[in-house]
This record gives sequence, C-alpha cells and structure tokens, in this order.
Amino acid sequence: MHEESYRELFFSESEDYLKNINQAMVKLEAAPGDKASLEEIFRCLHTIKGMSATMGFDNLAKLSHSMESLFDELRQGRIKLTLTITDKLFYCIDIVSQLLEDTKNNQESNVDVNLLTNELKNLSLAGDPNEFFLTPAEKLSISSRPDLEGKFLKIKISLVTDCAMKQVRAFLVLKELSRFGEIIKTVPSQNILEEGKFENNFLVVLVTKEDPENIRQDLMGISEIEFVEAKEMQINSQNAIPGVADKDTGEHYVKKIQSMRIPVKRLDQLMNLVQELVIARIRLAQLRQAQKNPSLDEISFSFDRLVTSLQEEVLATRFLPIAHILDNFPRMVRDLAHNAGKEVNFLISGSEIELDRVILDEIGDPLVHLVRNAIDHGIEIPQVRIKNNKPAAGKVEIRVSRQKGQIFVEVIDDGEGIDTETVKNEAIRKGLLSKDDGQWLEPKKILDILTTSGFSTKKEVTEVSGRGVGLDVVKNRLDMLGGGMDFFSQRNQGSRFVLALPLTVAIIKAMLVKVGDETYAIPLMNIRETIKLKTSEIKFIQHFEVFRIREEVIPIIRLDKELGLDLKNEEKNDIPVVIVEAGMMISGLVVSAVIGEQDIVVKPLGAPLKKTRGISGATILGNGKVALILDAAGIK
Amino acid sequence: MAPRVLIVDDALFMRRMLADILKKEGYEICGEAENGKDAIERYSQLKPDLVTMDIVMPKMEEIDGIGAVKEIIKTDPHAKIIMVSAMGQHVLVIEAIQAGARDFVTKPFQPSRVLEAVKRVLGK
Repeated sequence: MHEESYRELFFSESEDYLKNINQAMVKLEAAPGDKASLEEIFRCLHTIKGMSATMGFDNLAKLSHSMESLFDELRQGRIKLTLTITDKLFYCIDIVSQLLEDTKNNQESNVDVNLLTNELKNLSLAGDPNEFFLTPAEKLSISSRPDLEGKFLKIKISLVTDCAMKQVRAFLVLKELSRFGEIIKTVPSQNILEEGKFENNFLVVLVTKEDPENIRQDLMGISEIEFVEAKEMQINSQNAIPGVADKDTGEHYVKKIQSMRIPVKRLDQLMNLVQELVIARIRLAQLRQAQKNPSLDEISFSFDRLVTSLQEEVLATRFLPIAHILDNFPRMVRDLAHNAGKEVNFLISGSEIELDRVILDEIGDPLVHLVRNAIDHGIEIPQVRIKNNKPAAGKVEIRVSRQKGQIFVEVIDDGEGIDTETVKNEAIRKGLLSKDDGQWLEPKKILDILTTSGFSTKKEVTEVSGRGVGLDVVKNRLDMLGGGMDFFSQRNQGSRFVLALPLTVAIIKAMLVKVGDETYAIPLMNIRETIKLKTSEIKFIQHFEVFRIREEVIPIIRLDKELGLDLKNEEKNDIPVVIVEAGMMISGLVVSAVIGEQDIVVKPLGAPLKKTRGISGATILGNGKVALILDAAGIK
Repeated sequence: MAPRVLIVDDALFMRRMLADILKKEGYEICGEAENGKDAIERYSQLKPDLVTMDIVMPKMEEIDGIGAVKEIIKTDPHAKIIMVSAMGQHVLVIEAIQAGARDFVTKPFQPSRVLEAVKRVLGK
C-alpha cells in the first residue's frame, strides 16, 4: 500500500476510535467504575498508540501511551476516577484530537505533550517520584517568595516495605514538613497519598528557608521511614517567571474547552424562557395575520424561524440516550436470573436513541418492572424449556426504536407467555368481567385487565405489588406522559410489551379544538384522524352511541357532556369528530369545531388538579388564554 | 538515667506486653493508666518522657484516647505521645496526629517497630 493511503486510513480510523473514547468517557462519567467503558477506552487508546508509533507520530504516541497507562490503573481499580482525573482526561482527549488534526494538515503543533504526560503521570500511581516537573502555577508559587530566589527543596521519602497504614505515615510526614514551609506539590498527588495507594516512596516539593539536612534529620525522627533525601533545587531560570512559554500553555486551556457541565436547573430555566418565546411567537403570528403589514410580516417570519431553531437547540440539551437507564440492566438481569435459577440471554438494541430527560426519569421503574416480570414469570427454568423444545437459556430483549416522532420501547421474552384463560377466569371471579363478556374476550383486551389496579393472578402477577410498581402503575405512568402501552402474548412463545412514548413532554404538537366557547388541545400523537359525521350515522349499542368507520365500531364520547359543559345539541349534519387512540382504546370525541394544529407548551397542573380525569395539563394560547390539554386515555 | 514511659491502655494484656518490650531495652515504666482521664492525671503527676496511648478506649467522663492527647498537649505542648492503634483506624490516628501525637505503632506489635518509634520520638 502506498504511504498516502496508510495516512488516510490512520486518520479516519483514529477519528473513529476517538469518537468511541468520547462516548465511553461520557458513559463513564455518568457511571464511574463502568467496566465496559473503561475497557473500551483502554483498548481504543492502545490502538491509537500503536498506530501513531507505526506512523512515526511521536507526540500522539506519547500522549496516548500516558493516557493508556492511567486507564490501566483505573480499570484495575488501583485508582479511583476523581473529578480532577475526569477533567484532565477530557482535556487530553481534546488534545489528541487537535494533534490528529494538526498532523493531518502537516502543521506543527504547539502543544507541550511532555507537560501533559507528566501531569497524567502525577495523577497515576505510577507517578514516579524520580521524575517530577512543575506546572506554571507551581513555579509561580515558588517564585512568589522573593527571599528564596526560586530555590526550593525536593524531598524524597521512602517508607519501609511493610509499612502499616501508609496514608497515616504520609500524613505525618506532610504535617511535619508543613511546619517548615509551604508544600507546593507531592508525587504521587496528595489524593493518592491520602488513600494510601502508593508504592513505598513519594516526593514532596517544599518551599522553605530551612536547611535540607535539618529537614532530613527531622523526618528521620518518624518511625517506619527508611530513607529521606532532601535536595535544594532552583527553578529553571528561563521558566522562573511565567513568560512566553507559559502564556502559550495558558491559551490552550482557554481555547480547548469543548464541553462543560451545566446544572439541570439552569437548563430548565432556559426551557421555560423558550416556552414563553413560543407563546409570544403565536401571538405575533396572530397579529401578523390581522395587520397585513409587509415589514411586520418580515420580522414575524424571521422571528418564527429563529424561535423554531432556538426551541430545537434547547430541546436537544434536554435529550439523553436511553442508554442512561438501560446501562444498568444487564447487571440486574444477570442477578435476577441467577436468583431465580434461570438462564437468560439479554439483548438491548437502540440504546443510543435519545429521549427527553424527564421521560427517561419516569420510565426507568416501569422498564425494570417489565423486565423483572419477564424473568420471574415469563422465562421458564431450563428443565421446563428443554422439555418444551426450547433452548435452555431464555431470551429477554429490550428493543428501542423511533418511528414518526414517537419512541417505541419493546420488552420481549420467549418465555411461557400469559395464560389468557387463567386471567379471564380470575377476572370473572373478581367481578371485573361478566361470564358473558369472558366469552368473546379478545386476547388483546387481556392487557386492560392486567393493568387494572388490584388485579393479580396467581399464575402471572404474584408478588408484583411487593415490588414497588405493578402493571397498573406502568400504565398510569405512560398515560401521564401521554404515551401508550400495547401487549402481545402467545402461549409457550413469549410475551411482548410495547411502550409508546413521546419524544418530549415540554413542547408537543397538538390539535386545537373548540367545545362550545372553550378551546382544548389534543396531543397529535393520540389522534388517528378527524372526520365529519352525519347524525344518521350515529348508531346505538344498548344505550351507548357508536359509529362505524371502515369495518370498525367506535364509541362516541360527547366532550361537552364529559367536560360538564352540556351544550344544546342541535341536529346538524357535519358533526366534527376527532378519533383518538391511547394504547388499546379508541374513541371518537365529538367537538364543536376543529381549529388546527399548533406547537403547544405543556404546563403541568398543580397538585390539587393533578388527578383530574381526562385532563393531562394546560397550555397558554396566543391570546393569553389557558387551554386544557385533553388526555385521550383518561376520557372514557 | 533511663527515659521514663507512661503506658495508657485499657487492656492489662497490652500494657504488660508493651512494658515487657520497653523494659528489655532499659526503659523505665514510670506508670500505667487504663483510660484517658487517668492518663491526664498520671501525666501531670509523673511528667514522663514519653506516653504510649491506646487510641480506642472506653470513654471516662467523655475523655477517650484522642481527648487525652488534646488535654495533655494543652498543658504541655512538648509532650511526646505515640499512638497505639489497630490496623484500619487511620482516620482516628490522623485525628490524633492533628491533636499533637508524634508517631504511631500498630497492633499486633512488632517489638522492633515499637522500639524504633520510641527511640526516634525521644531522639528529637
């Protein structure tokens, strides 16, 4: 292969590895100690190091080598991932990326790799007390004592090999030394000394007037110290005062900040402001329509565009990959299966899909519940599975996908499925179903029964109540979020729960409708279609109003009655009906008029109103009036 | 004149053991105390050259090993106190050192380590 193609391959591959490292670092930061991420980063750095060395890119090889060494200690649990280390590593990753970029463009890098590798070394156990260096800040503290003219002591301390409680010994030494002057730094760092996780020697940089021999003698007065060497040093005259070289380094720090932490509270505040803007935009649009003024039009349109972009950007900050909650699942599945004496292969797909943080917070428990159910009640013990011609190990899968502005999370198992007969009989016994209803019960309707509060069959849902959330809670949670749940099960084949979730709960698309003089919003994701009905098309089943559309019989709900408005029903021929779906339930809502689609800002209802049936929240319209948001699942 | 040592430990067994180690090397055991309060009193009476102080002892009038160190250092900032601690009590030992203890030895005792600590602290 030609050298050029090597280069290309090197850069494209290195960038991929760097991307992986970044992803894993983020994961690691969220879950410190996450083994998989540590291994992943270690492996990627190792590869980058090897490739860089082969290509002769010494700086890259050197830096990635130092990072790799630090990760080796992290993954072996010899040091802990502290905030200092995380920040330094993020910084180093940015530098690797800059080095790659510079090398690619044949540019000279002005990064001081030696400084970085030394800093990394200091963070690690391997911090070799024989090698030390001073950062610009440390040099500055030394030269801040003009009487010493940049002189300082480098003190090496060796403890006896079987020294007990090394951290206390080190503490004793540092306390003793601080009597003589200022401790500028230690190698390894004080953190590591305090944890006692160092080999038997360490180094202290001390700014003092005291004679080195006196200090040596004094330290030798502490037991279990084998050896002390104190040497007077002078800071490199060329670097004594932070000059050109140091200024350069400073600039890198400032320039390279590429990510930062922002408190969730601040993001929420930002979101609130954007929501106000969205409302202002609607008002402006109304004004524009009324005024027909070309310059107002122009401003309004560009305002519109800007607010839309801003809204998207701010919404994006609320999004996190669902991996955030799913990352802990493999471990949980392992433990559950183990305790139940079952074998389970657990698969997750689509965990990179992003969801609103608020929704993520809410669906963690329901998902845990469904997965627990799948293992406890779905998957059979190996002997039973083999008898039924299934592989000994069961399969549980979480599949996340995104379709048409909704997220679907499926929990699938290949266990014994739900015994619909048992559920039916239990429901009849408990008076939830009449015997007659039971005759024509569709398998899918089983879900409604399973999610009824207080329902439990011995065969399927035992002990659930003791575990925090039952299926009814799962369903309530989803209703609250404006989502839905679906369920399929086949005897001996397994079960599949499908959760449908909105992407976000902050700003949603909704259909505005009029009922009498009041305006209501219906989330678009619950709407199947809107139609117009003739009075003659309304039929009765017993005393319930229904209509038929394409082979399907749909019950009618008169919103005015349901909402307590009781309008006079004139006989008209074009009755607007909004067909809504929530989970398995479909109904036709009769409204006075359909206004149209709009982005609405969802404001949750306060505590006293929270449980109002049929209402999931409120929004502010362009005219400043409040409209209630109808909860399709709650209206029955 | 042999240096005089005050041994503070609630267990007679430990006091006996320490005393044997030290006597063999010619130190004089000028006194013993079994709790922190005792230790403070004995210290002011005896003015020993060195104290060995068990770190975990039952409290006597709210005074434990560390409390005794604080009290003794208050009356005599030059008091030479060596803490006696089991492994794993590093938090307590650090507290004692902050209070003014000069060194520490760990149980179970290695006679050579105990003697080294005593010698070095006295040598200062």
